[in-house]
Amino acid sequence: MSRDVALHHLLGRTVRDPDGRKVGRIEELRAEIELHEQGNDYVVTEFHVGSFGAVESLAGSRFARDLLHRLGRLVPYDHHRIPWHRLDLTDPSHPKTLDTIEQLRAKQKRD
Amino acid sequence: MKKWAEVALGVVTSIGGFLEVGSIATSIQGGAQFGFQLAWAVAIGTVCLAILMEMTGRLAAVSGRSYVDLLREHMGVRFFIIPLVAVMIPSFLVLISEIGGVAIGLQIATGIAFQWWAIPIALVGWFLLWRGSFKMVEQGTAVLGLVSVVFLVGAIKLHPQWNAVGESLLPSAPSHDKVKYWYIAVSILGASISPYLYLFYSAGALEDGWSLTHLGVNRVTAGLGNVFGGGLSLMVLVCAAMVFLPRQIGVDAYEQIALVLATPLGRAGFALFLISLCITCFGATLEIALSGAYLLAQGLGWPWSENMKPANDARFATTYSILILLAAVPIAVGMDPLKLTNISMVLSAASLPVTVTPLLVLMNDRQVMTTHANGWLGNIALVLISLMSLVLFFVAAPLYVLGGG
Amino acid sequence: MTDGIDLRHDVLDALLMDRNRENIGRCDTLMLELRDGKPPRVATLLIGGQVRDERIGKWMTHLSRLFHGGKRAADEGVSRIPFAAMRSLGETIRMDVVRDELPSEHVEQWLAKHVICRIPGAQGKKEQGKK
Repeated sequence: MSRDVALHHLLGRTVRDPDGRKVGRIEELRAEIELHEQGNDYVVTEFHVGSFGAVESLAGSRFARDLLHRLGRLVPYDHHRIPWHRLDLTDPSHPKTLDTIEQLRAKQKRD
Repeated sequence: MKKWAEVALGVVTSIGGFLEVGSIATSIQGGAQFGFQLAWAVAIGTVCLAILMEMTGRLAAVSGRSYVDLLREHMGVRFFIIPLVAVMIPSFLVLISEIGGVAIGLQIATGIAFQWWAIPIALVGWFLLWRGSFKMVEQGTAVLGLVSVVFLVGAIKLHPQWNAVGESLLPSAPSHDKVKYWYIAVSILGASISPYLYLFYSAGALEDGWSLTHLGVNRVTAGLGNVFGGGLSLMVLVCAAMVFLPRQIGVDAYEQIALVLATPLGRAGFALFLISLCITCFGATLEIALSGAYLLAQGLGWPWSENMKPANDARFATTYSILILLAAVPIAVGMDPLKLTNISMVLSAASLPVTVTPLLVLMNDRQVMTTHANGWLGNIALVLISLMSLVLFFVAAPLYVLGGG
Repeated sequence: MTDGIDLRHDVLDALLMDRNRENIGRCDTLMLELRDGKPPRVATLLIGGQVRDERIGKWMTHLSRLFHGGKRAADEGVSRIPFAAMRSLGETIRMDVVRDELPSEHVEQWLAKHVICRIPGAQGKKEQGKK
């Protein structure tokens, strides 16, 4: 079973953890090539979720994103790279992480 | 050898192409009412334009993308609408004013009312855009526009106190009519720093195939060329100050404007003034129509180039055609070109933040600019220009209502 | 390290070119196929029409509807190109399609045929510029 969702419907969506707490908004999707017999496909490997979501949507530029991330050290800013299998998209309008915020932060520290 | 030719041509293009109805009208009004006092507005406007043009030119040469391309790509289509509208509307009003400028010049020359000239001017302009190449449009009108050097000649013949002019290059407060003073200052800034100017320049860099080897040409063309061009604008102000202020002539009737060169240079001055007015405004007409087309085409990803035959970039060609022909209509039905010029200059000034502030981001993005990103000096300049543009945004409309109209 | 792409930064709003390096618009969105137990697949690239209007805002959708006189098929003017047709990705993205076959190019073709080419000089050669 497969469903289709448009990229611009995912970008900016609020992501919540299993307890319903807000993790952030989807800011970017990373995709990589997956080789298989019929040819190559790009598949989404990571979702970048951050608390600057809305502003981030203006910051298409690397410089602006770096600036935001740098500001993020002064202002509380969370940024998570969530692997595709740790995000539940059964309802694409309400993405849910499979990890709680604490678990995500622990993973963040390890990176 | 070839690079020197390019540099020389670039400088010539900047000088010949600098004046247009906005800078002429605002400089004349400024000189007539306040003597040399507003020289600083011309100077600051010119320097800001030079900086913005150098940056958008460098942007295009280094990245191979025009400023509009990058605005769309970095802001996304939804936010791109903001600069799209914020540039299109004032630019279109300026376009109407430029056609008005040519029409007024022809009215004074022939006695035939300006309304009758509007459509013919637009048709000739359209024809040149339709059949001409980018180089022809850009350089043809600019080289002819060199006739505006006559303002320098006129200014010299009027024997102004040059040190007084020099002193006025520093900002000063007015002694009378404060609101009018600042209103004209804002208009002068809006005339000098019209967004279509650096958007067109950025697109032009791509039309001419600029690359990293053109960074020097860019700096000289944008820097030196504009400074010389701004100098001409200053000469218009000086002439107006020497001719109109002592005689307390309010510049209300169009025929009086020609006095600005007729007084120092007689009948030749009169004729050359009209020729300068017509050629420079006509050149600006072509440039603005193209700017609008570049804005839409590059933002939306259409095929575009003034070097392509219209059959291959139909939407692009349709856009500049509609813009130039539509802009003739208000003049043809008799709208006052001078009033329109004044409104459009103020709107240009107010719209600046939208096209200036994104440069702060783009010029520092190493992915776009690689090793040619702004240094600290460029960034300070850009921050100052951004702050000024924000001030202009807030004061432009109130000043127009209180001091202009 | 990884040979990956950022979908919003690298693909969304990027300039697209066809096989012959002619501009065919900008990427207005990507359709992602969500699959159970497998990572989402980047399936289709969309250009133009209602997709772009929707991204701009509700007001644009209304404006477009007015402009097209009421009813308009949801797919009209939207080009759907399989993402697998991407040949190169850089400053611009080259797709293995031909411009004239794209629905989103209908306006360009209609204008070229019915308006532009009716005016003399439309096929005239200009300076062979670098563009």
